[in-house]
Amino acid sequence: MEGVSEFFKYFWEIREMVWTLTVRHSWIALAGVVIGTLTAVPIGIAISRKPQASAVVIDLAGMLYTIPSLALLGFLLPFMGLGWMPTITALVIYSWLPVLRNTCTGILGVDPAAKEAAKGMGSTSFQLLMNVELPLALPVIMAAIRTVAVLTVGITVMGALVGARGLGELIFQGISMMNNKTILAGTIPVSIMALTFDQLLGLVERKLKVSTSSA
Amino acid sequence: MTREISVELQKVSKLYGQDKVVDEVSFTVEKGEIFVLIGPSGCGKTTTLKMINQLIPHTSGNILVNGIDVAELDAVELRRSIGYVIQYIGLLPHLTIQENIAFVLKLTKQSKKMQKEKAEELIETVGLPTNYLTRYPRELSGGQQQRVGVARALAANPDILLMDEPFGAVDPLTREQLQNELLRLQETIRKTIVFVTHDIQEAFKVGSRIGILKQGKLVCLGTPMEIVKTDDEFVKSFIGQGALFEVLDTIEVSRVLEKEVPLVSENEKVDRTADILSGWDNVFVVNSDSKCLGYIPLNTLEPDGSFSKGQIISLPASSTPDISVKFAVEKMLWEGRTWLPIVDEKDGFKGIVLFRSCADLLAGDRG
Repeated sequence: MEGVSEFFKYFWEIREMVWTLTVRHSWIALAGVVIGTLTAVPIGIAISRKPQASAVVIDLAGMLYTIPSLALLGFLLPFMGLGWMPTITALVIYSWLPVLRNTCTGILGVDPAAKEAAKGMGSTSFQLLMNVELPLALPVIMAAIRTVAVLTVGITVMGALVGARGLGELIFQGISMMNNKTILAGTIPVSIMALTFDQLLGLVERKLKVSTSSA
Repeated sequence: MTREISVELQKVSKLYGQDKVVDEVSFTVEKGEIFVLIGPSGCGKTTTLKMINQLIPHTSGNILVNGIDVAELDAVELRRSIGYVIQYIGLLPHLTIQENIAFVLKLTKQSKKMQKEKAEELIETVGLPTNYLTRYPRELSGGQQQRVGVARALAANPDILLMDEPFGAVDPLTREQLQNELLRLQETIRKTIVFVTHDIQEAFKVGSRIGILKQGKLVCLGTPMEIVKTDDEFVKSFIGQGALFEVLDTIEVSRVLEKEVPLVSENEKVDRTADILSGWDNVFVVNSDSKCLGYIPLNTLEPDGSFSKGQIISLPASSTPDISVKFAVEKMLWEGRTWLPIVDEKDGFKGIVLFRSCADLLAGDRG
């Protein structure tokens, strides 16, 4: 029990630094998720129209997905230098596979009868996408975005190694000093942030569902 | 009176690669009729239907909708002007019933107020309560969902409705109900309907004319009566025997009514030598208002042809001349008789329908 109170004491002492790093960590992760989603959803929509292209694109995204994060950051470093750039770029790359694959799967999984009826009533392809395909694929797409969000918060930790300045700084500092308190002071906010992101996106999903169904 | 043509196909073909799915099909659909396309699966009936609203583009030939070649029309605009009902209904599960019905109005950016009013009007047209408008499709039964499907197709007030096996996914009882409702609805809305089905009984029931497709070719085209009298072996085997009964449903009983019936006034004697008696077992007794009091079997008459009031047997329940032959046959079978008296609204005696003449109706021209 002494260890616990000692940890809190330590945490209180460095609270300002933890807060600063948490804010920075969260916006880096958020930028990764937002940019990743904004790029992957259109690609997912595009490949859902072209089955031949979809296999190639998904394989490519899968290949990128398998690169270890440390290696990817190291690879991006010479092009982008130190700072948040290589980290956010890596996050975007990691978000591609889940989001574009689920977008494609989600759209292909929409009830053909619903699509046929909507088309038969005179929907343009854009109206079909906005009124039928995306709303009905939404749960599948959101599942991927939520997965990506949790993943992203974790990978942002690695960004500390290329100077992105997130909570990873505390964790790596703790590791090099073999100081568990410092490691914990970085890890706990990371976990809380991941869970919060997931929950917030759950709220967004519910909100979107309500708004599409009353539009 | 010239008949207006709503839809016309001129030698329309559809090829998938080398495969001729629809092969030079030509027909015209008149304004206000229900034209049925029928055939075994893979015969091209759905493809033919979908070429009318260009969900499937045709390879060759001309398709005219209200006199205009669809090739000259914008496909989206064309579809918005034609109602479309499909077998799997295809209601949008994330939208309320109101939003589903008003979907095409939303596509054409009509006001919310108009969408709501139209949905309220149409849900009543198809016989559902207005409080269903706020529900979601999954909360409705299959039959109710298809009623919404029909309401949705009517939203833009189209002249033409395309129906692709609209009642194929519901149970037989509901199907019959929906068919009856469609016919009742058609009395008031008078749309031009092109209706695809694989159910021959349904075709005879709803169709004013029927086109039978076989391997992409239109092999037979005509009214139900013309169809059953065809000599084509494929058509004969395809329609089968059950359909004949449905054809009888399309014919008014007045067509087989025997008007030359042996009658006698209540105060007269029967002339046993009269020619009219030949072939009859009974003689019918009428009063001065031409109301039928009943009948007397010939073998119960006195030798001189006279009879007493007590000998008159009252008529079985009679029917009016506007019932169908099918209904008359069913009634005779039900009552175990071979004849049915027909009276007009004022109880005036019109004649007798004989079971034999109902049977002759179809058998006559079928070798």
